Formats: sequence, structure tokens, C-alpha cells
Amino acid sequence: MASEAECHPLGMFACELCALTAPYSYVGQKPPNTQSVVLLEESYVMKDPFTSDKDRFLILGSRCSICSRLVCMGPECSLFYSKRFCLPCVQKNISAFPQEIQQDVEKRKVPSKKPSSQLGSRT
Amino acid sequence: MPPPRTREGRDHRDYRRAPTGEEAWEKWDWNCPETRRLLEDSFFRDEDYIRQGSEDCQKFWAFFERLQRFQSAKTSRKEEKDAGCPKHGTSALADLPHTYDPRYRINLSIIGPDARGSRGPGRRLPPERVSEFRQALLHYLDFGQKQAFGRLAKLQRERAALPIAQYGNRILQTLKEHQVVVVAGDTGCGKSTQVPQYLLAAGFSHVACTQPRRIACISLAKRVGFESLSQYGSQVGYQIRFESTRSAATKIVFLTVGLLLRQIQREPSLPQYQVLIVDEVHERHLHNDFLLGILRRLLPRRPDLKVILMSATINISLFSSYFGSAPVVQVPGRLFPITVVYQPQEAEPTTSKSEKLDPRPFLRVLESIDAKYPPEERGDLLVFLSGMAEISAVLEAAQTYASHTQRWVVLPLHSALSVADQDKVFDVAPPGVRKCILSTNIAETSVTIDGIRFVVDSGKVKEMSYDPQAKLQRLQEFWISQASAEQRKGRAGRTGPGVCFRLYAESDYDAFAPYPVPEIRRVALDALVLQMKSMSVGDPRTFPFIEPPPPASLETAILYLRDQGALDSSEALTPIGSLLAQLPVDVVIGKMLILGSMFRLAEPVLTIAAALSVQSPFTRSAQSSPDCATARRPLESDQGDPFTLFNVFNAWVQVKSERSRDSRKWCRRRGIEEHRLYEMANLRRQFKELLEDHGLLAEARAAGPGDSHSRLQQRRERRALYQLKRQHEQGGGRGRKVLRLREEQDGCSSDEDRAGALRAGDSVDIQDVKFKLRHNLEQLQAAASAAQDLSREQMALLKLVLGRGLYPQLAIPDAFNSGRKDSDQIFHTRAKQGAVLHPTCVFAGSPEVLHAREQEVEGCDGNRGDKDRMSSRHQLLAFVSLLETNKPYLVNCVRVPALQAQRPEEEEDEEAAPVSPREVAALSRELLQLMASKVPYSLRRLTGLEAQNLYVGPQTVTAAPSLPGLFGSATLTPHPTKGGYAVTDFLTYNCLTSDADLYSDCLRTFWTCPRCGLHAPLTPVERISHENTCAPDPQDAPPGAEEATPEPLQKASALQRPYHCEACQKDFLFTPTEVLRHRKLHV
Ligand SMILES: [Zn+2]
Ligand SMILES: [Zn+2]
Repeated sequence: MASEAECHPLGMFACELCALTAPYSYVGQKPPNTQSVVLLEESYVMKDPFTSDKDRFLILGSRCSICSRLVCMGPECSLFYSKRFCLPCVQKNISAFPQEIQQDVEKRKVPSKKPSSQLGSRT
Repeated sequence: MPPPRTREGRDHRDYRRAPTGEEAWEKWDWNCPETRRLLEDSFFRDEDYIRQGSEDCQKFWAFFERLQRFQSAKTSRKEEKDAGCPKHGTSALADLPHTYDPRYRINLSIIGPDARGSRGPGRRLPPERVSEFRQALLHYLDFGQKQAFGRLAKLQRERAALPIAQYGNRILQTLKEHQVVVVAGDTGCGKSTQVPQYLLAAGFSHVACTQPRRIACISLAKRVGFESLSQYGSQVGYQIRFESTRSAATKIVFLTVGLLLRQIQREPSLPQYQVLIVDEVHERHLHNDFLLGILRRLLPRRPDLKVILMSATINISLFSSYFGSAPVVQVPGRLFPITVVYQPQEAEPTTSKSEKLDPRPFLRVLESIDAKYPPEERGDLLVFLSGMAEISAVLEAAQTYASHTQRWVVLPLHSALSVADQDKVFDVAPPGVRKCILSTNIAETSVTIDGIRFVVDSGKVKEMSYDPQAKLQRLQEFWISQASAEQRKGRAGRTGPGVCFRLYAESDYDAFAPYPVPEIRRVALDALVLQMKSMSVGDPRTFPFIEPPPPASLETAILYLRDQGALDSSEALTPIGSLLAQLPVDVVIGKMLILGSMFRLAEPVLTIAAALSVQSPFTRSAQSSPDCATARRPLESDQGDPFTLFNVFNAWVQVKSERSRDSRKWCRRRGIEEHRLYEMANLRRQFKELLEDHGLLAEARAAGPGDSHSRLQQRRERRALYQLKRQHEQGGGRGRKVLRLREEQDGCSSDEDRAGALRAGDSVDIQDVKFKLRHNLEQLQAAASAAQDLSREQMALLKLVLGRGLYPQLAIPDAFNSGRKDSDQIFHTRAKQGAVLHPTCVFAGSPEVLHAREQEVEGCDGNRGDKDRMSSRHQLLAFVSLLETNKPYLVNCVRVPALQAQRPEEEEDEEAAPVSPREVAALSRELLQLMASKVPYSLRRLTGLEAQNLYVGPQTVTAAPSLPGLFGSATLTPHPTKGGYAVTDFLTYNCLTSDADLYSDCLRTFWTCPRCGLHAPLTPVERISHENTCAPDPQDAPPGAEEATPEPLQKASALQRPYHCEACQKDFLFTPTEVLRHRKLHV
């Protein structure tokens, strides 16, 4: 299968702050199979696993522009404000960010909801 | 793309013109289709991320409208405020934008039309608007990324939270050190979905995971594919009887146990797998037990093969010790505390002695829940009942109660329900209302419903049990085992603390068997033995089963297979036997298929065999609906149920080919579960391929349309169908719905409403699409219309094939049936007396077609009923199965002429060698002559006492027949049990104890000689000797049969037989009475 080869995983992306891991198939700013979208940071990208459309991609994460830790896109781990910042670095330098970001970071400290139970299923 | 929805009252003239220049600046309207089209033309081209007309495109506009509303609300409140950020030392922070704008938070950008040059259609649009559009698009893409990432993260959180997550490494480590590992954990610990993924992550790439049920293969492959993020790659696949998603890239395949066994049959060392996961071993299915035996023998020869047995925490030591004390990794379940309440049923004095279940104890539980728990506290009720009759009894009462209180939605759940109805148990009840699910033990292990807080356990289960002596399956009610009781209880504690009401005493529980009886001890083993023989695993009697089957069951199965010609006298597989072993069906159905293809009746027999191998397509609810019954009537055949099914399938195929979208409705009108018809079509195709593979059927030439235009047309249609299928798959499954408070249960009408509601906005019938992709509808239609043109001869031959295939599953109508009510008709089979017709049987409503109608035989005494009636049209019932519930029922019956059904004419077929067409034609002709022959005979069941005294037995040496030429060249061997001489397997000469009483009652009837007019009560023998003297034309002596038509018909000699007296050392020619009289002389 052609698409199989194209999205063959290059390696495992692992967030340095949370447990998230996922196979990535591209690192860079121009995801494969699409000409119209460019990324504003060097990102770890996989094919979007939730659709059969093969040119759909999913950005997993990138490096913090201060400490260069590899962090995921999750709101508990990092934010993007013209660059990628891991949340610990944001907190350390919170005053450097505009008020909107400060308020947003404040909100994120509230513990995230527990995973909701799934639909019933046949096993 | 459909035009965007417009608000009412808009001036429609606006749409006509594209806004241009200044004018557009003032009267800008995002909803104008022309505007949207221009934007789409520039941004949503074929090479872009979003394509014009796609679902994504529609989603974007919906998002766009929301965003517009949101932004206009915000700008009205917002005051311009430049919060100047202090300069910072870190370089990364130094050049942060000073003025906040949400667009700085988006990490991607789109290359728009202006960046690609200003020649695009977009140049007609004002740049401000284009930029506004671009911002919205960016937000949309960002939103999509966040959403997908959120799903990914949630998935991983949920996986990590599963109880088994802590044990992944330990399982892998143990597997490294041992060949077999037992993973024990209760439902909900995640073993079925996670263990395959741990193997995948650890780098294993040839993993098979067996499941007892097909549906589990599909749902697990989907789930694991989804979780392992290769949902649309092909690392995870499934393989079931008719479907496979397996490809070269597949690393894990979920497959049924039966399919794995077939793979072993082809390649006994299973070289294609590295790791084998056998799931649900505790369920002790027949095939699973057999597979374990195979594996135990295989493992020493495949030291590199790893096996993981997965089980609920039931009897784990049994599996561990069977594989040389294999290590066990036990995973605790995730259960909340459950309170057990014992509510033994006291004797209800007012209950009548009827067999109907008393619903009151169940209602009391509903009442007590209503009394004790406020409706705001959610939590549904799951009731375990033994069977469908019990479910309907409680359903009726509970619904009456529910309509009073408005606090319950009552839903049945059992395997005979349609898939759509089964799925309703996953829907949610409206606020303040609880679901009450009345289920068989299907909800014990195979269906998991979340949100259950209360469980009612009746303590009963209906299970098949098998009586090898009578070769009879019985559906009987039993107490459940302790293990089952614990499973049922556990269903209450999956989402929170729960309560389990046991409608029996604690002392009852203590008396329960610890584990359920494994299937191998409960069912007929014919198919298993056949499979064992074809896999050359040696003598089934010495096979190392984890728990051996009852020896009597094995012996019965072996004997049966020998009777059927599948095994020879040394119990080796015959050619026909190995063919039967290839067919995944009952031996009788397999025989039917083979015979059918030999007699050029493959097409109709394929349909009938497939129809008899799936569950009945007739829905239960339709039985009570007169509309359904009326609509179904034209399809009913008075020849028998197989022909009714044959008509149903053919008519359905016609509907499909004429107006396929209506087929669902067509089925609903007639109370037919369409899903079963799809199954029949699939099975039919599989049978056809098997017969072709074995050279029994010439492969159909690809009769494609001749000209290139129609070929192109056909290709285009197929492509469109594939497109539909893909779209459906992307759309995902059916979402959860909110149940209506009062669900109508009855019949066709509500089905229709529901199906309408179910697929509102989705007019694609995905089953229909799949059907068309899988089958050549033209071929099916040709077969269906050919079925209408079957000649009388072909029809007769077809019945013969069915009858012969089903032989010896025959039942004889009771002699006094014609005087009985329709519902009281009884029948006798070889092993079971007093069987009745299953209520679904076509003859149940019209038994008169079974009575010997023909009374034209002269001299017949009209007052005697069918008993001893002379007729050439006696009929027997050939049946597919005998099922005992409260009564023994004959299931799937076809009426066959009694005499001809007893004639195993096709001796030469047994070799399954290719027969020349001429021979077949000749044979068919002969058979038809036989069918047409009108030999008057009487039909009578032998009573037990008669049967005991029927044969002389092997002790008595009887005279060998001295009638040269009567039996042709057949060699005569003494019969081992009956005595006398076996001529063929249906004719034993001189074996009957010629007791005078027996004959006078059995065979002496008034008879008028057609030639001389003699009218006298004569036995057949006496009659024949009279006929011989009266008209010397001995050419067609009536052919004989087994017990039903007693054998003396063949005996040309008198009742006397040679007798040697030991006392006086003389030889006499005595009748049995004379023998006794003579013996008295010596006393
Ligand atoms: Zn993270
Ligand atoms: Zn950092």
C-alpha cells in the first residue's frame, strides 16, 4: 500500500512532561501530502489516526523555545504564543506574557476532569 | 454542496449577483452562495486541506457562523487596551508580540490565493474579507488539531487507567520466560483490548487472537485499531467466516476459533503465527476446548510459538495445570462494592399451575427500587432470566407497571432479537427514568452495558443438553453455577456501588455447582468428531481433552457418522466424509449439498441448505401480528419449511434486483429479519465456492456484460458503492440515543417508525451496499427466477434430495392424527415418540396435508382412519432438528413420500466420484419413476413391545434365502442384532419373529383382488401369493423398507420357517406358534 509507506512511523514521540506517547511520521514545518498548510514551528506530526483521509495530519508536539524540552500539544504541558513554551517555563516567566495568557494559565491549574466512561460495548 | 441554510425573510434578489467593488463592501453578506463559492474556489481546491463539497467544507461553514456570532458579541464588549509587556532578558521571550491577538496562539498558517499569485478567482473579493476568511480558516484548523489531539490524549488516559495497565510488563516478561501464560481477569479489566496492544508495542508482528463470537472479532479489531492509532492503517485486522480485513501489513488478527481450527487443518504447525491469544477460555466452548487440546500437542513441536490464555477468574488452575502449571498473571477487576440481597421466592398460593413464569417477584424489586432510591439518582436495572418465554412474561407485567409509574423503560435482550433492537439497550433513558433490561445470560459475559446499578438474578438458565441415546437436544432450565451467579452480580458494580437481588436463598447458592457445565458435555459431537477425523488427530476416544466428553456422546457421534457414510467400518474418513468436513454445516445439510450438485439441482439446494443453516428469519413479534401473517402467506409452501424459506429468499432477491431500497421495508412487512437473509446469501456463496473447489460444481463463467459501455457502467456503479461504504465507515457507528418513555413492543408498525427515525438523514442502507459489493445480484436473480420454473420432476427430485439428505431424521405421523385438533398432531421419530410440530412450522397450521388423503385404493375400509390405511401416498416428515423444550419439537420439516424416502437409492454416490451425465440422467429418471410408482402399502409405527419382539435376534439361526436372483448379486451376511441376513443396509431377510399376533394386527387388512374380486382380510404375504396365482406378473414386487414398512413384504415364503428340534432331532417347517406348540410336547 502506497499510503502505508508514506506514513510509516519514524519513531516514538514521547512528551517529557506527561505520559503521552505516539508514533510520529514527520518532523518539520511542511507536513506531507498537503501544499496549503505550513507550520510555524518544527513539529512532530503523525497522520491523523481518526480519519481515513490520508493527507490529514495531527501535530503531536514540539520543543519548548526556552528549555528545548520535547512537549506535547496538551494544555497541561505547553502553550503556543508565537512560539512553543512548556508550561513550567511559562510559569517561571509568567510576567513576560500578556494578561490574556496569564489568565489562561491560571485556569489550567484547575485539575482536569477524569476520563468519562465509555459507551457500552460488546466484548 | 447543498446551498447554505438561509434565514427567513431575506431578499432573494441578493443571491443573483456577485458582489463587486464598493457595492460589496457595503452590502457584504457571508451567506451569499456566490460569495461562498468564490471563497471556496480559491481556498478549497482539490489540492487544499479542505475540499469543496466535502463534509469538512460544510463543517467549516458551520464553524464559521459560530465564530462570527462569537466575535461580534466580543467586540461590542471589548475595550482597546494596550498592556505593554515589560522587556525580557530571555531571547525567546524578547520578541513576543506586545499586543495580544488570538491569532498568535495558532501554530499553523495557510498559503492563500494571494500568496499564489493574484490570478485566482479570489481577486474579485475585497482583501479585508479574504483576510477575515483566512483568520477563520486558521481558527478552524487549529480547533480541529486541538480536538483530534484531545481524543488522542483521552484515549491514552483511559488506557492507562485500566486495571490491566499495571500488568503489561509483567505479562510480557512472563511470556519471555514461558511458552504458555494464563492471564486471568474479569470483564472490564481490559485484557481483550490491551494485551494485543502490549504485544504490538513489544514488537511482535504475527499475533492471532481468537474469539468465540464473530461479532467480538469485528468490534475488538475496531477498538484495538482505534486505540493503537492504526485504525485506518492495517496493522490490526479481523477474519471471520465471510469477511476479512487482513492484509500483508496486518500484525494482529482477530479471528473466530472455528477459523483458526481450519487454518490448523491446512497447516498443522501454524507457521504463520508467533503468538496466539486464546480469549474467553473459561467459557468452555466446544471448539475452544478442542483447540486447547490441539495446542497442547502442538507446543512441543513449535517451541517458538507463544500462547496466552485469557480467562475470567473462573477455574484458573484447570487451565494452568493442563499446560504443565503455566504461570498465571491475575489482574484484579475494577469493581465497586455490591450489596447482595437474597429474596427467595416463597410458594405463591394463588398462582395457577401454569408453566408461565410468575412476574410478581420481579415487580416487587422494581417497586422497592422506586421506593428506596430517588429518581434523580441514576442507575439502571438488569434482570437475568432463563429464556425468551420468561422474558416476555416479565416484560408484559413490567410494562404495565412502567406505564403507571412513568419511571421505567423496559427492554428485552436476547439473541433472537434484531440487531437494531439489541442495540437499544445501549441507549439512554430520559432523566428520572431508569432502564430495565430483561436479558438472557447473553448479558453475563458477551454484552456489556454500562450504567447498571441493580441486578436481579433469577438463578436460572436455559441450556442445551444432549441425550446421546435419543440423539436429542434438549433446551432445559437449570440452576446456574456459582461462577455465573458471581458474573451476574458483578454487572451491578461496574460504574459505581450496586445492589444484586438474588431470587433464591443463600443455601441455594451454596448448593450450586461451582462452574457451568462445559459445552462438550452438553451437545452432539458429530461435527467435532468429523473435524477431528479430518485433522487426523487420531482416535477421538483418546484425545487429551481438558475435560473429556461423555463416552456415550462420542460413541453416538461415531456411529452416526458411520451410518451417514462419513466414516467407514474402520472409522476412517470416507471421501464423502472429508467433503462433509470441509463444509461448515450439519452433516445432513452437507449431504444435501453434495446430492444436490450431483443431481444438477445445485442452485436450489444451495439456497435451501443456506436457509437451513442460519437462524430462522421470521421474527417472533410477527407471529402475533395478523398483517405480517397475511403478507407472508403467499410465500408459504405446503411442501414444508425448507421450501417456504426457499420462496422467501427468492422473492427477496427479486425485490433486491428490482428495487433494492425497498427490501428492508419488504422484509419488515412480512416480519422477516433481513439480516438473516444477508447471512443466507453469504453462506450460499460460501457453499457454492466450496462445491466449486471440490469439482462438484462447474465454476460459473464470468458472464460479464459484453459491450465495453455496460462494462464501464458496471465499474462506475461499483466505484460508487465503494464510495458509499467508505463514507459510512467514516461516519462511524450509531450514536447513543435517548429512549422514549413508552417503547411500543408490538409488531411491524413500530419497527417501521423506528427504522425511519434511525436513519433519518442517512438514506444509505449500508447492508444493501455491502450486499451488492459482495454478490453478483444478476446471478442470484437468475437462480431465483429459475426456481420458479422448476419442473414437477425437478421439484420431486429436489424433495428426494432433501429427504435423503435428512435421512434418517424422519418422523411418521401418528395413526390417529386425522381425528385430532391441529395443535394436537403428534409424530414419532426413530428415537422419540410423541413429538409435535414446532409452532413456526408451516404444517402446524395445516396438518391435513400430511394425512394420507388418497382413498381410491379399492376395498379400503373407510372407518379405520390412517391406521393401516392402504395408500400409495403415505407421507413422512423429514426434519432438520429435534428440539426438546417443554415438548419435543420437530424443527424445519418437509413432507416426503414415505416409501421413497426410505429408499437409499444412491448407493453409488457414496464414493463421491465424478459421475457421467448420462448416468445421472438415468438415475434421475429411475428415481422419478420410483417417485411416481403407486404401490399401495400401509404405514405403521411399531410399539416398544413389538419392536422388542420384532426380530428373531442373532441367536436364532434362520434359513438363508433360497430364492436365486431375488437379491441380485448382494452377498448375505448374518445381521448382528436383528438376526437373519443383511442384504442391504435397509433390507434384512428373515429377521422378523413371525409372531401371529403381530401380523394379524399389523398387516392383515381387508383387500379386494382387482382381478378376481376376492374380498378378504389378508396379510401382504398372503395377498402377494394370491396375486401370483391370480395374475402371474411377478415383475414389480414392492420395494421394501426398514421398520416402518415391515419387511415380510419381501418374503415370498410362508410364515413357516425351518426349525430343528434338539429333543427329537428332527427338522420341521413351523410357524412360531407351531414351534411353541411343538416345544410343549417335550416338556
Ligand atoms: Zn505532555
Ligand atoms: Zn521549557
